[in-house]
Amino acid sequence: MLMVYSVQAQKIKIQKKIASDSIAIPLFNGIIVEGDVASVASSVLSNGGTYSYEGAVKIDLKHKFYPTFEFGYAGADKLTVDNVGFNTNGAFWRGGIDINMLKQKKAANAINSMLLLGLRLGVSSFNYNISNVTITDEYWGGSVQAMNYNNLSTTKVWLELTAGIRVEVFKNIYMGWTIRNKNLLTSTADGAVTPWYIPGFGTNKSSNLGLNYTIGYKFQLPSKRKNVVKPQTGEVTTAKKK
Amino acid sequence: MKKTQYIILILSLFVGFSCAVDESCRTNRSVLMDLGMYHVTKTDTSKVTASFSFDSLTVRGLKYDNTANKYVYTDSILYNNEKSISKINLPLHSFESTSVFEVTFNGKTIKANVVTNKNDTTVYVNKKDTLIVTHQNTDKYLSLECGSIKIHSVDTILTTKNFIDSIRIVNRKVNNINVENIKIYK
Repeated sequence: MLMVYSVQAQKIKIQKKIASDSIAIPLFNGIIVEGDVASVASSVLSNGGTYSYEGAVKIDLKHKFYPTFEFGYAGADKLTVDNVGFNTNGAFWRGGIDINMLKQKKAANAINSMLLLGLRLGVSSFNYNISNVTITDEYWGGSVQAMNYNNLSTTKVWLELTAGIRVEVFKNIYMGWTIRNKNLLTSTADGAVTPWYIPGFGTNKSSNLGLNYTIGYKFQLPSKRKNVVKPQTGEVTTAKKK
Repeated sequence: MKKTQYIILILSLFVGFSCAVDESCRTNRSVLMDLGMYHVTKTDTSKVTASFSFDSLTVRGLKYDNTANKYVYTDSILYNNEKSISKINLPLHSFESTSVFEVTFNGKTIKANVVTNKNDTTVYVNKKDTLIVTHQNTDKYLSLECGSIKIHSVDTILTTKNFIDSIRIVNRKVNNINVENIKIYK
């Protein structure tokens, strides 16, 4: 029993030595380009009420830091029960960084997952229209006043806390999800004609939740591929402490 | 922490997550001018202001009838013989700058008489006063669900003095936040 354990320990030691000697994680490890499926699905489900399409680019630095740039196009076409109409469309951007909380496995054939915690700053500049806002005087009567607000423009900024996972399902193909807690930073004056929907943020309230389900491809530098250390024949690639 | 533990932690964030869309308006849309009724009791040494509670009170709106060339009652009564109240809330005209109300008071005042050393009670029955409020109206957008409302800024308020002694504007802004706008003194 003791012997088995010491042999096991020796194997682990050898492997650790090989790993630390041969693989120093380079700074740049490629770019992951992702598309979001969840926003497409929710756009279809909302039947044109709201729609959003987005993608992201993540730069892999040391398998630890992932500077992320997200971009998309979203809009809404809404009619309330009181026949008040709202429509908007516009592009949005989010920039920030994800930190991978899991250690990258050294072996080349290991399945690499990422547990990402991150921060984003989101910005959207857009135009919107609000139609048929009516005011009636229930006590004194009189005519109904109907108002249309056309081509109002605004810029909204928000901060997001994100958490998500990515799993390399096939070579260089990553799938996963991100959950977002979005907090609006831009405040509005009392009585201002505010938009009902903000592209990239969702309905206009102080905080929103968001969900992405992403499929991505990792583009690696050709030189990186050559440097991958293949495990030698007969070498143990994974070691578990008993 | 193991990877699976991390994943369970993140998955637990989904508990309670819902996508329900609520379209009902949750903001107070009613814009009413708040009037408080006060009675001042004066003696040689002190002056006490207290809320005046009426035996009963009736308030009706008056609108100008162009064909008859006079003010006529609106169809509905705002306060119909309401008992024991000391505050009233009145709607101002959304599309015109003058709102007129007729207030009918029933109540009594009690005053200490230093000569007889007893209380003098004065009873007021169906005393009518007319309040004329001039105001500016502004649109205020609330939200897509709640729409817009008219808010007001009171310029002047005039009154007859059958029952009312004096009147004071304490807050000119009449909006959907309920604060006292006018003090009526007897």
